[in-house]
Amino acid sequence: MTHHRDIGAGPPDEYVEAEIQRLLVEDPAVAEQGITVVRRERALVLYGEVESPHRREEILRRVSERFPDVPITSDIGVIRAQAPTEIEQLP
Amino acid sequence: MVIRIAAVGDVHLDEDVVGRFRPALEELPECADVLLLAGDLTRHGTEAEARCVAEEFGGLAVPVVTVLGNHDHQCDQVPQVVKVLEDAGITVLEGNGVVLDCAGGRLGIAGVKGFGGGFAGRCASDFGEPEMKAFVRTTTDSADRLGAALRSLDCDMLVALTHYSPVPDTLAGEPLEIYPFLGSYQLGQAIDSAPTALAVHGHAHAGTERGTTPGGVRVRNVAHPVIKQAYSVFHVGDQLDTDQVSPIGQSGSQRSWS
Repeated sequence: MTHHRDIGAGPPDEYVEAEIQRLLVEDPAVAEQGITVVRRERALVLYGEVESPHRREEILRRVSERFPDVPITSDIGVIRAQAPTEIEQLP
Repeated sequence: MVIRIAAVGDVHLDEDVVGRFRPALEELPECADVLLLAGDLTRHGTEAEARCVAEEFGGLAVPVVTVLGNHDHQCDQVPQVVKVLEDAGITVLEGNGVVLDCAGGRLGIAGVKGFGGGFAGRCASDFGEPEMKAFVRTTTDSADRLGAALRSLDCDMLVALTHYSPVPDTLAGEPLEIYPFLGSYQLGQAIDSAPTALAVHGHAHAGTERGTTPGGVRVRNVAHPVIKQAYSVFHVGDQLDTDQVSPIGQSGSQRSWS
């Protein structure tokens, strides 16, 4: 027998995870392919690195806006852009 | 003969990033003969974003050579993007090559964006629905053009520049399930069809830096989130200071499935 979820119960976490992953790429305000969504016991955690603090804030804003009931935490960094201190020699 | 190559990919420029790379880029003439950009220069591939790339990477004291990435195709403005980049003096490669006269010799660079498809034994096949065949043929065509461009260049040292990866080695860290969207073994086969000294790519933000093709060509993933600096610098040649030489045996990560 097929069990149907109550409408009020919301979609299963796995679908939410998939939707967030797609939103991160397909939402023009985000367009990030390098962010990983990980399901933890208490929240979804976003990992990855972006090019500016503005983009990091925008990701959280857009995801929270679209999924207001999903607890989200973020561990997204901004990639350093300093000159290299070492070279690699390739014979 | 030593040629000094700086490279970075996936810089995803827009107005909020302009100026971040420039201080490091001003130091380029001291450490490199050329700067290679491995695609995904922009976020959505708009002409406006291309102007940000032109501002950041134009007017440098070293030649800049690039391929486009998948992000640079998002808004279907490729001709406009290419024009903005070329007007800024940036050489854009797609199925062709360029030879630069460097102090250490003539450097030939052949480039394509590349495409997905996967790696030997675990790849998509040219079979079935039209959509599937179109997917695989896009990769085959891209790899064929890369191989032809590499073999056509008359130079002292040959470098392949792609956005998608030619090997699985430099994808280590990415989920195995998405490898077919990150690169194709056919690009590696093209690179091995010529006496290529180095292959540089981007696209795999969670990948790793070092790998080799089955034919022994060094591959470097220079995606900005991977190298975590403005660019990496490779000194390629046969008269290096041996104390600083990286042995080939140390390069490359293990294939995840071996």
